[in-house]
Amino acid sequence: MSRMGRARVRVPETASRGEVIEIRTMVEHPMDSGFLHNNMGQPIPRHIVETFTCTYNGSEIFRARLHPAVSTNPYFLFHTVATETGELVFTWKDDQGGVATASARIEVS
Amino acid sequence: MKLDTGRRRALQALAAGACLVIVRPATAESEELAPVLRELFGDRRIEQGKVTLDLPRLAESGNVVPVTVSVDSPMTPQDYVKRIHLFAGENPQPRIFDVELGPHNGVAKLSSRVRISTSQRVMAVAVLNDDTLWSAEVDVEVTVTGCGT
Amino acid sequence: MTTTFKESRRDFLVKSAAVTGGLMLGIRMPGLAQAASDAPEVTHWVVIQPDDTVVIRIARSELGQGSFTGLSQLVAEELECDWSKVRPEYADVNEHVRRDRIWRDMSTGGSRSIRDSQEYLRKAGASAREMLVAAAAQQWGVPASQCTVANSVITHSASGRSTTFGKVASAASKLDVPENPKVKDSRDWKLIGTSPARFDVPDKTTGRQIYAADVRLPGTVFASIVQCPVFGGKLKSYDQAKVSGMRGVKRVVAGEDWVAVVADNWWRANKAVRELPVQWDEAGNGDVSSESIMEFLRTGIDADDVPVARKDGDVEKAFAGAAKVIEAEYHSGYLNHATMEPQCATALFRGDKLEVWVGTQSGEATIAAASEEAGVPLENVIVHKMHAGGGFGRRGPHQEYTKQAVTIAKQMPGTPVCLQWSREEDMRHGRFRPVSLVKLRGALDRDGNWTAWHARQADQSIIITVRPTMIEGGVDPINTRSFRDNPYKVANFTNEYAMRNPHVPPGFWRAVAHTNNPFYRECFIDELAHAAGKDPYQFRRPLLQGTKDLAVLDAVAKAVNWGSRPSRGVHRGIAVVDSYGSYTAAAVELSVDDDSVIDVKRVVVAIDCGHVTHADAVKGQIESGIIWGLSAIMHEDITIKDGRVEQGNFTDYPVLKLAETPAMETIVMPSGGFWGGVGEPPIGAVIPAIGNAIFSATGKRVRSMPLKHHGFSYKA
Repeated sequence: MSRMGRARVRVPETASRGEVIEIRTMVEHPMDSGFLHNNMGQPIPRHIVETFTCTYNGSEIFRARLHPAVSTNPYFLFHTVATETGELVFTWKDDQGGVATASARIEVS
Repeated sequence: MKLDTGRRRALQALAAGACLVIVRPATAESEELAPVLRELFGDRRIEQGKVTLDLPRLAESGNVVPVTVSVDSPMTPQDYVKRIHLFAGENPQPRIFDVELGPHNGVAKLSSRVRISTSQRVMAVAVLNDDTLWSAEVDVEVTVTGCGT
Repeated sequence: MTTTFKESRRDFLVKSAAVTGGLMLGIRMPGLAQAASDAPEVTHWVVIQPDDTVVIRIARSELGQGSFTGLSQLVAEELECDWSKVRPEYADVNEHVRRDRIWRDMSTGGSRSIRDSQEYLRKAGASAREMLVAAAAQQWGVPASQCTVANSVITHSASGRSTTFGKVASAASKLDVPENPKVKDSRDWKLIGTSPARFDVPDKTTGRQIYAADVRLPGTVFASIVQCPVFGGKLKSYDQAKVSGMRGVKRVVAGEDWVAVVADNWWRANKAVRELPVQWDEAGNGDVSSESIMEFLRTGIDADDVPVARKDGDVEKAFAGAAKVIEAEYHSGYLNHATMEPQCATALFRGDKLEVWVGTQSGEATIAAASEEAGVPLENVIVHKMHAGGGFGRRGPHQEYTKQAVTIAKQMPGTPVCLQWSREEDMRHGRFRPVSLVKLRGALDRDGNWTAWHARQADQSIIITVRPTMIEGGVDPINTRSFRDNPYKVANFTNEYAMRNPHVPPGFWRAVAHTNNPFYRECFIDELAHAAGKDPYQFRRPLLQGTKDLAVLDAVAKAVNWGSRPSRGVHRGIAVVDSYGSYTAAAVELSVDDDSVIDVKRVVVAIDCGHVTHADAVKGQIESGIIWGLSAIMHEDITIKDGRVEQGNFTDYPVLKLAETPAMETIVMPSGGFWGGVGEPPIGAVIPAIGNAIFSATGKRVRSMPLKHHGFSYKA
């Protein structure tokens, strides 16, 4: 069963057209690597976020494939060119069918 | 080695304050970096340069290591970074993350927080739109793993 | 090479000495050479001042084991300097990071300081010497090969010229460092193997030594802390109104699982923190006890399938055909490092810079911990390494006191915060030598030969908390030492390991698994010997043929005249163990009065550590190892009740006292050809030798520690 939690994103509310903006993202997830053991020396099974994508008015602007070495509560900071007013949609998917989403609006002038 | 899945034992463990975990075999064995690079890039040469890999030289536990990868690229439709890969060759699995970018990103720069399981060389590889490969490497010392043994 | 931080550190201390006028005057910070940053480096390990003072940079930590002196000897042997002008100084940790870890490994543990450093330190000394000679030779216009060097003097006999290191150091520092200098054969050593006066001892003896808690900068405030007594719990709430009006109290600072009171002196801080109402969330571990922990370990012994660490031959077949099968269970509990200096650190934020003063076993662990906790880049953190008042493994991987001091200091920028744990906090929040339980079986044939054995261990992994990737197939490579890597040539042997990790935080206690596993193994071997009707020493000998273990075992047996009749009431015990690259054996002579009062009369320990650097320090390590082992088997015991440690001070966690120390003899027999550790090896053999002697004296086989649980006491 997925232990995907809540997501938080930080996107500037406004930007000038052509400006490169910074986007911060995080989702709650244990990112159990599969390489750790419980307190009886038995391996704790892998359970990780596998993909993270961001669309901007429907076009994909960022995609990350995550492996077990991404820390608990995966954090990504990336950039995009502010082109038009609209919505950024963020989606995380894990290996147990868990999905988290977040969205943010941006006014571009 | 067979795993102990006896329910009685699990309950005993629970009584003693242990954590009850449904046991399945670990999904992956330790992997080497070289085959992973070959699989991703074939025989293509990985140059050093254009990439800046920003990681602390020392990490206490290696559990949450802040990393920033940036690539010197104009990010125009004619000249841009299309992928960035991060590797830790001594981790049980060398791949950390693989990111897809394009001119729409404006700059090829991203940050994350990663796990470095033991002191080692961490490598970032950028794939440009012309399919050339550029890289940077940083040695990270994980201090807690070096003590006492 | 100068850095602004070195200057600012020195300036700051000089200024503060002028202001306080007191404690700083005449008391040198450990090895803070006054003009070191201005004098030339001849390799980064050696700084030579114009007056010929030779500053040797020390990367490891001085914990009382003598590393400051021993590591200096390794460099000086090749350098051919005037030893009377040598001043060791800790390599600056901040500079180390900026210069890409140029001083290599700074961690002090695993009995590795000498053996891991010796090759590159000797080469550094040799390189520096070659550079100095080359500089002199260049100045004279003669071949370097015609010059000789001794006691910091370089001579060209042919032309009758000579000069000193101080005069050519600047020129030497500009030359390339030889990549692979020749180092002496051990037969030519003049300094390695001797016992020069130790650099750390005088100040420690006269009380001039400053420790981390003695650092007094202008405006220093003091903090005392309480941490959640149940491990894994969290702070729920506290009522600071109850203490903020108390005399001297400045503020209350909280962390995730601790609260600290800051005051103008430590006693006021401690008084207030003890009166502070605090609520903890025990997070479910509130009913764990030593008994429940033992039951948990037992599930490992009783499990159907246990990971196999080693398998030789066929033990089941051997047991089936055995004439005699001996079975026994041994166990031991938690132990605290109980360093004389409780955990403490002083931290100071000034602008975007952070300084910490701490007695650490790893300068790198400290700077990394401080940097991460403060959110300050490594380059902005200065670590002042202080000599530690005992390390023993407590002060390396665990830097929680550093992080706590940093957290408090961050709330009081510009104010130095000296955090010192009370003895109670130190006793209750150790990183304990973990619990262990082992089931042993051994088989003897009709002639009393040992044909097979089986060791199934259930214990708490330490390495899983710091380097979990070392666990393979559920086997802990450190906790299986002495079993998995035992030297006895017995054809059939199985070692199994069941990991069981209770909630009590484990740590590397001096000698780690070589404190309990050799006790189990060597006492069990004695049980087999007695079952076979054989002398325990003679029983071992054929199975150790060709090993260095045999040589040290023979040495102690000879020293106590094993086989001869001892004095009336005196009984002997013997044991051997190899660990940390060295081979040690112990023979003990003791008496037991009224069946319960133990008087250890004599302990003889032999060590083959390959090479000896500081002869007296090696002897000191053996003696301290004997005391460490005796204290463990006689007195020490950390028990858990209601999820927390019951003990709080030396009243309920007694350690060996001076009056209880027996006559100790050390046999140092380095056979050459390898470099073994010395800090931990002596301990493993001492503990079982005591257990074996007690059996000889009383017929009582003790299978757990400490002895007081078996009705024994120590002769006062």
